[in-house]
Amino acid sequence: MFSTISHMKSRKESKVIGLNERNIKLIYPNNPKKHYPLADDKVLTKEILHQYDIPCAETYAVIEYNSDIKKAWAYCKKYNTMAIKPANGCGGGGIKIIRKDLDNNWTTSGKVISEREIFQHMAATIMGFFSLGSHDRVLIEECIEPHPFFHEIYPQGVPDFRIITLDKKPLMGMLRMPTDRSDGKANLHQKGVGIGVNMEKGTLTQVYDGKLYYDHHPDSKFVVKDVPIPYWEEILEISVATAKAFPLNYLGIDIVIDKIKGPQIMEINVRPGLGIQLVNKEGLKNSILKTNR
Amino acid sequence: MNSKANLRTALILITVIALVSVGLKVKPILKNYDDFNPQIAYKVNYNYFFKSKDNSSTVVKTFIPKSNSRQRISSEQIKNDSTLLFAKKITKNGNVRGIWGTDSRKTYHTVNYEFIFEGKDRVYTIPKQFNSVSEKYDRYLAPTNNIQSDHIKISDLATRLGQNTQNDNEVIKNIFDHVYSIPSAPIITLTDALTAIEQNRASCNGKSRLFVAICRNLGYPARIKGGIIVENTNKRTSHVWAEVLINQTWIPFDALNNHYASIPANYLEIYEGDEFLITHTPDIQFDYTYQINEVNHISFLKMNSEEISELSSISLWSIVEAGIMPKNALNLLLLLPIGGLLVAFLRNVVGVKTFGVFLPVLIAFSLLHIGFISGMILFVTLILLVGLISYPFDKIGLLYTPKLVISLTIMVGLMIIATMVGIRYNIAWLTTLTFFPTIILTIAAERFSRATVEDGYKMAIDKLFQTLLATAICYALLSWSWLPSILIIFPECILLIITCAMLLGRYIGIRWVEFYRFKPLFN
Repeated sequence: MFSTISHMKSRKESKVIGLNERNIKLIYPNNPKKHYPLADDKVLTKEILHQYDIPCAETYAVIEYNSDIKKAWAYCKKYNTMAIKPANGCGGGGIKIIRKDLDNNWTTSGKVISEREIFQHMAATIMGFFSLGSHDRVLIEECIEPHPFFHEIYPQGVPDFRIITLDKKPLMGMLRMPTDRSDGKANLHQKGVGIGVNMEKGTLTQVYDGKLYYDHHPDSKFVVKDVPIPYWEEILEISVATAKAFPLNYLGIDIVIDKIKGPQIMEINVRPGLGIQLVNKEGLKNSILKTNR
Repeated sequence: MNSKANLRTALILITVIALVSVGLKVKPILKNYDDFNPQIAYKVNYNYFFKSKDNSSTVVKTFIPKSNSRQRISSEQIKNDSTLLFAKKITKNGNVRGIWGTDSRKTYHTVNYEFIFEGKDRVYTIPKQFNSVSEKYDRYLAPTNNIQSDHIKISDLATRLGQNTQNDNEVIKNIFDHVYSIPSAPIITLTDALTAIEQNRASCNGKSRLFVAICRNLGYPARIKGGIIVENTNKRTSHVWAEVLINQTWIPFDALNNHYASIPANYLEIYEGDEFLITHTPDIQFDYTYQINEVNHISFLKMNSEEISELSSISLWSIVEAGIMPKNALNLLLLLPIGGLLVAFLRNVVGVKTFGVFLPVLIAFSLLHIGFISGMILFVTLILLVGLISYPFDKIGLLYTPKLVISLTIMVGLMIIATMVGIRYNIAWLTTLTFFPTIILTIAAERFSRATVEDGYKMAIDKLFQTLLATAICYALLSWSWLPSILIIFPECILLIITCAMLLGRYIGIRWVEFYRFKPLFN
């Protein structure tokens, strides 16, 4: 009981935001429910991003009906690599990255895949297989190649930045990295690690794996402390531009750095998780105070 | 901001009104607080019809129940025609006897003896070793015509049952198990202890006499106890069971209905000793019924129905009295909001994650019927089994709704099979499966199997465990027998629930589990 009370005190000082406070103070007043689809539907998100010329993966095709699959494919075939995604997928389900190998066969995750199988996957997506039974669209887009900066820290998978914005201002950020145990995924709860970001200096701070803090990536031993982030100014710029483009005032923006094109918006999130506070060893309330000072 | 202020005023107003209304009723209720707390209440009516003799006077005698620590007899009413004389007599072993006598000849008479019976169940724990018994209980050790405790057959059986036992408790358990294992038969005529052994089948009176005879043979004072199992019906059968004197307390045993050292709430105790409930002058026309009706009551109030209605116009007692709605349905309806509030608290303040928002409340309701432990085991088994069986269907890649239909069908199939197995092999707890809310359980099983795929089985098991925890907490609240009664007398509580839910809805504090999650940030 006493420990709870002492916790309460330190909570006041630490300015941590819990789920209740996030929902009531940040999400409900800032994100009107009618605009959720702009963030939840990847096709709608990209329409707005394209409209404001915010850098993001080039859209090759959007398929709404089964009858359009062949036509869209005829157009997309010329590219060597592409990402096929459900517009309303959840938890990364249904995303397929396909690329041509030396014999001109399509492959996914190192295995050959026939055109017929690709079509079947698209048809299943349209039927709502990855979006809980409702009709969905297929988004075919350019495949982003991660910047070599990431390979130094950890060579595999697709790492991304998460920037939280409130009232069009960046609040807090982190870099999410895959690990040996995370199967190429960068999500914290799928055993990836989060790396804190010093928003003023644009440098990395510490690594958090869900339990402990390190100053290096647990697998590669690359020391991240005070390492400057390439394109940091641009990352902040496109975050602010994105936040301004959407009628949503509390966002989690996911950004990947392409090795040629630089920072690209991957997707935006209206209910960003709170684990970022742990990664940065800082409560969100504190960063709100700092940002608005 | 203005609308917020208005809302706050409205809430305060609602709360004040509710509290004042509750407050007005509290005083008379506290004054009528009943520390007896019966579980059940019945109106019992002995109805006797007879024709008096043509050559002598006629007498009908019956035993009349008394109040004791687990039963209360009240509102006694005797109705009979003026030619009958009524008298109460206390017999030598402490029973109370009602006697109706008449000198009239060849006339028809009716007797109504009515009373309210309120009862509680009792479960006793038996010590391993019993204290020795004083001489004044010798008559409970002596053989009688029908309890032939000194007969060689009874002695043999008693010696056999007493062998290889460590203590008195085990001896009694052996005797009970043996008598319980004798096949039961609806024999109306008198069966003595010896006949019960010889026929190897007996009804309540044969089994009780045999049980008493074996106990007496081994030196445990024992006696027959007579009464009626009250149910909401008219009946003619009375019941007998046995009592053994253990450390100055008479402990009940019913070797027919398997009540070991316990007595259910609906056992009306009427007399002790190997007696007949009714005796009358021989060779007269005689008929009888016991008319038994359940009485609506509130366990913690010493008030009858009219007094409760007068308590306040704001109560749901009129719904109870109208009898249109089954009591269980009304209780369920009233308890749902409370259970919902508890779940809201567990989710938003404690931070427990569950499969399905109100699943814990609904499962807790089913547990009230099924029993806590077996219910919990069944619940987990069903979720795991359905999750396991529907796993291959997950793999095939089916659309969501049809897949749900498959899981639902599997769930229904499992319930039916379990019920059939339960009936075939007489396993009572297996037949209770249909009390579960099937569809909600199926959706929970579906979510569970999806969670194992998406978040890994470790997270899924963790969430299942949290669901069980929430269910247990809901069960603890809902199984409190006073709760429905309180809500019936104080329906204002529903308004208070809305206020509480509003407060919970604006709660921005850290959830308890978040103290753990964000621990590194608090140091």
